[in-house]
This record gives sequence, structure tokens and C-alpha cells, in this order.
Amino acid sequence: MNDSKGRKSGSSDSPPPDLKRERDELLHSISKGTRITEEFAREHERLEARLRELESENASLRAKVEADSAVRELLEKIERLETDKRELLSRFHAAEAASTEVSARVQEIEAEFANLANLFVASNQLHGSLSPRGVMRRIKEVLAQLVGAERYCLYLAGPDKHELVPIAFEGVSGDKVSPIPVDRGPIGDVFRSGSAAVNEDRDPSQGSHDAPAAVIPLSVDDQRVGVIAIFSTLSQKKRFDTIDFELFKLLGQHAAAALVSASLFAHADRKFPGLESFIDLSV
Amino acid sequence: MAEYSCLIVEDSPMMRQLLVFALARVKNLRVTEADDGVDGLRKLASARYDIIVTDINMPIMDGLKLVKRVRSDPVHKDTPIVIITTEGSHEDRQRALQLGANAYITKPIQAPQVIATVKELLKIE
Repeated sequence: MNDSKGRKSGSSDSPPPDLKRERDELLHSISKGTRITEEFAREHERLEARLRELESENASLRAKVEADSAVRELLEKIERLETDKRELLSRFHAAEAASTEVSARVQEIEAEFANLANLFVASNQLHGSLSPRGVMRRIKEVLAQLVGAERYCLYLAGPDKHELVPIAFEGVSGDKVSPIPVDRGPIGDVFRSGSAAVNEDRDPSQGSHDAPAAVIPLSVDDQRVGVIAIFSTLSQKKRFDTIDFELFKLLGQHAAAALVSASLFAHADRKFPGLESFIDLSV
Repeated sequence: MAEYSCLIVEDSPMMRQLLVFALARVKNLRVTEADDGVDGLRKLASARYDIIVTDINMPIMDGLKLVKRVRSDPVHKDTPIVIITTEGSHEDRQRALQLGANAYITKPIQAPQVIATVKELLKIE
């Protein structure tokens, strides 16, 4: 008999029912264990795969972060370099401007120095002689060599100051330089007014006897004694510069004084005045 | 720093003084003055000069003769010569350049122009 109790009532090749149940339970447990183990194994594999995936992702992210950081650093460095460059450029432009300014100033100073040298030399020349002829030669030299006058005449006023008498001239014929009444023409006007007349709008080399390029009054101690008329300049002298006006001023104030001094000295037979002439000069 | 020597040959004391003033602005340039061409030749015979600045119109020996003599002098045949002329003396200027002058300055002279010309010929900065 085959029943579930097995060993007591069944045949000898069939396991008793309790053993069979135990075996089935065992088999079931083993099967379940196997399934669970397989599931664990699969889960383990899946987790390992996921872990690798995450590690890969992590590495990728880390690399990206590192790359981003490097780029950021580079950008910051570029920004810093750009700032340095702007600052250097700004300093360079400032230095360049300063250098240009200094160069311009040096040129101005050089020009100023040249003008002062001209004035010093002219003054030195005017007062470097006590002979009327020597003074006149020097006045002519200043006019010709420093001003660039080509045709000119120096007039002195007569004793009654009614006319201007030509004393020395250059580049003009004698008949053109007769005495001039002080109430006539541009030369007389300058003598009466005491102000120089310089035609700045016209090329001075194109001046003429009737329309002189410049007329300069000559004074001694605020007393007008004559004029210098520059009829025209050398052809390359197309305009009067600042230095020319300074030379006109110098000639106006010193030429006549030098002439008068030299003339008085000549009249005194070139004898120097005695010390008594200077005693009362102290103040 | 190299030192240079310049001979100014000019009969007018005023122009000489002006040239001396102008050339005093050139560093390391020693200036010697001569009254005319003959005086200039005398000074050239006794010393060596790096540059000569000479007027054209001078008594006794003018600038043209001086240029000619300098160019035949073995010591100074290559020395730069600057001539000072007036605008009207175009032929003299051409003649001086043909004879071997290196540059010219027209009167009335301007100190900056004299300085620039001398510096250029001496190759001074």
C-alpha cells in the first residue's frame, strides 16, 4: 500500500511518505536557495555593472571638473594678462605722450635758446664798438645776417625833427633814399607814432620803397631819434618770425644808443671821461 | 664717448659768434674759429678736424678756394664741409658742391638747422 506514511505501509522501493515530503521540502528548499543564490548572483552582477558604470561616470565627471577648472584657471590667467596688457599699454601711451611732450619742450627750449643766442650776439655786436663806422657796420650786419634784410636804410632825425635823413643804406640806389619829411608816408608815420610797422600779411621779400616790409623806430632814452626801414628781405625770407620782432625791439632800443655813444666818444677824441664823471652816479 | 672737432671759417665776428653758440649745443664737439680761408688752411695744417663749416664770401681766400684746397689735402680730403651761402649765390653753392662740399646752409642761419646739419654729417644722435 502506498500512502503518505511510507515506510510502514508502502512497497520497499518507494520512500515512505514522510521521507518523500522531507525530500520534497529539502528539494524545494534547495531549489529556492538556488533561485535566491542565482538572484543574488544576478543582483551582484548588476550592482557590479552599475558600480563600474558609476565609477566610469564619476571618473568622467572628475575629468570634466578638472578640465573645467583648468579652463577656468586659464581664463582667469588670460583675464589677468589682459589687465596687465591694458595697464602696460596705458603706461606705454602715457610714457609716449610724456616723451612727445618732452621732445616738443626740448625743441621749444632749443628754439628759445637759438633766439636768445641771436639776441645776445646782436646786442654784443651793437655795443662792441665805440667807433660810429664800426657801430654802423654792425647794425648793417645784424640786419643782413640775422634779420635777412636785403634792401634797407637807416634814417636819423634832423635837429628840428622835421625830416629823416638817410645815414646808411644797402641794396637801394642813392636817389631812392633822399630825406623824408616826418609827416609823410609809412616811414614818417612810424617816426611820429614810435610804433614799429610790420606788414605780417605780405611776403617781406616783396616789399618796396613805398611799402616797406618793416619800419622800426629808433629811440634813445624814450626820445625818438630815427627809424630803420627794411624795404625788402632776402628772397628765401618769406615771413618775419618771433626772433625778428625781438631783433627789431633790440635794434630800436640799442642801435641808436650805440650810435650816439660812439659818436660822442669820437667827438671827445676817443678820450674816456674822467672818474669825476661817474662820482655822482651812486644812489 | 667720441670727441669731435669742428673748424668754423667765417670772416664776420658776429656770424662766428653765432655759429659757436649754436655748435656749443652739440655734445663733445670742440670748435675752433678761423677769420678767413687762409687762416682756415693754417689751422687745418696744424690739426685734424672732423668737420668744417665755412662761409663762401670771405676776403683773402673765399670758401670755394678753401673747399678746393681741402679736397686736395690728403689729411682732410674726406672731411665733411658745410658751406654757408645766401640764396642769391646759387652758382657759388653749386660750384661748392661740385668741388666737394657736403651740405649748405642758407643765410640768415638758424641755429637748429646748423646743429642738425653738423650732427647728420658727423652721424651723431
